[in-house]
Amino acid sequence: MKAKVYRLNSGVSRLFLFALIAVMPGLVQAQSATDGQAVKALTTDASGALLVLRNSGLLAVEGQSTTEIPLPPSDSGAPPRSMAKGADESLYLAGPGLGIWRYDNASKRWQSLNDTLPDLGITAIAAHATQAETLYVYLGESGMFRSRDGGAEWVKVDSGPREPVQAFLHSDMPGSMESGWLFAGTTRGVARSMDCFCFWGDAGELRGTVTAIDYDPSAPENVYAVIEGQLHHSSDGGETWVGLEIPQAITALTFSPKEGLVVGTENGDLLSRNASGEWVPVHE
Amino acid sequence: MNKWFVPLVLLVAPALLMAGGAPPNSDSLPTEVAKGRQIYEQYCAACHGWQGEGAANWNKPDEKGEMPPPPHDETGHTWRHSDAMLFRMIAEGWRHPFNKTDRLAMPAFEDTLTDEEIQWVIEYLRTLWTDDQRRYQQNESQDINQAESPS
Repeated sequence: MKAKVYRLNSGVSRLFLFALIAVMPGLVQAQSATDGQAVKALTTDASGALLVLRNSGLLAVEGQSTTEIPLPPSDSGAPPRSMAKGADESLYLAGPGLGIWRYDNASKRWQSLNDTLPDLGITAIAAHATQAETLYVYLGESGMFRSRDGGAEWVKVDSGPREPVQAFLHSDMPGSMESGWLFAGTTRGVARSMDCFCFWGDAGELRGTVTAIDYDPSAPENVYAVIEGQLHHSSDGGETWVGLEIPQAITALTFSPKEGLVVGTENGDLLSRNASGEWVPVHE
Repeated sequence: MNKWFVPLVLLVAPALLMAGGAPPNSDSLPTEVAKGRQIYEQYCAACHGWQGEGAANWNKPDEKGEMPPPPHDETGHTWRHSDAMLFRMIAEGWRHPFNKTDRLAMPAFEDTLTDEEIQWVIEYLRTLWTDDQRRYQQNESQDINQAESPS
């Protein structure tokens, strides 16, 4: 009897081992689809869910629930690099070779906004903070373009700062001659202009290649920029900057109505600050 | 031939001067532009330059921490603003938000100039821009009007 039980146990163990070997690669792949990959861009949707762009795709994260959003059906297969949320909560994705696309929440489809752009080499996009139909794109070689009709017609408005733009932001910080401010993260630091494109000047003396930039919509003088994985904060609209201590290299950031400042890291983590100001994981 | 040459030169010369980028002669300007130029020279030229060339190093703060008066010619950004915004800035004045002083670096002229006189100044400023800039500014003015008009 003992021998029979032993053989049964041994059989079950072998079966379990085989099953584990068979299933393990799948588990590892599932893990790597969401974890371990650097966060390329972050924003939120109308419901406050975090939208997380990684090489593996785009995810909507709300509490413990995660939903995959398919990427735009581009012929080129070029991956998206920039993400922005419009004043009406519309979602925009863009990248070199991809151009710019808007996600239609009703039909769950992407709409190309590239018909009147001279090329698809977009390295950065920004959506106007308060005007839903106004969008900005930076095409490395062709300069800065603006659309005031939701992407139907693009007009070249400026060449942009001297250095190439890596990250782009429109802010409704007060004090502009027009309707707001533009912040451009360049290879030199942060450049700033009123949204009349009057002229681009240095926003303070922060130097280095800026890879991500955002601001606090509830306190617009607070601007955040990422240089070489380090997070920097300005509380005076970009005049002065201080470095913020953070446990990992940062690759993306956004302001969430629920979590406040959320950063995405090189390791694929999402972090926000708790009540004591400590960086803690945002659970996916 | 000499009989025709002198009148022809008189007729064509102003157009050639304008095309060559020379400052417009008051005599050849429409009345509003000529009046605008006169007002510009009286109230604006001391800071913004007699030809609208602006202050030297206008795009960097000066020793007081103020942004200097910008050019109004094709090298500046005046042409990027709508008529409504230009009118507002001349009437109400302007302080750059990052200036280190609190004063209106660009003074308000609403108690000095009439609305009509401000419009004439804007008409004159238009003559300092390129054709492309005039088109851009016209579109800006139209876009702003459309955005502000009730639907």
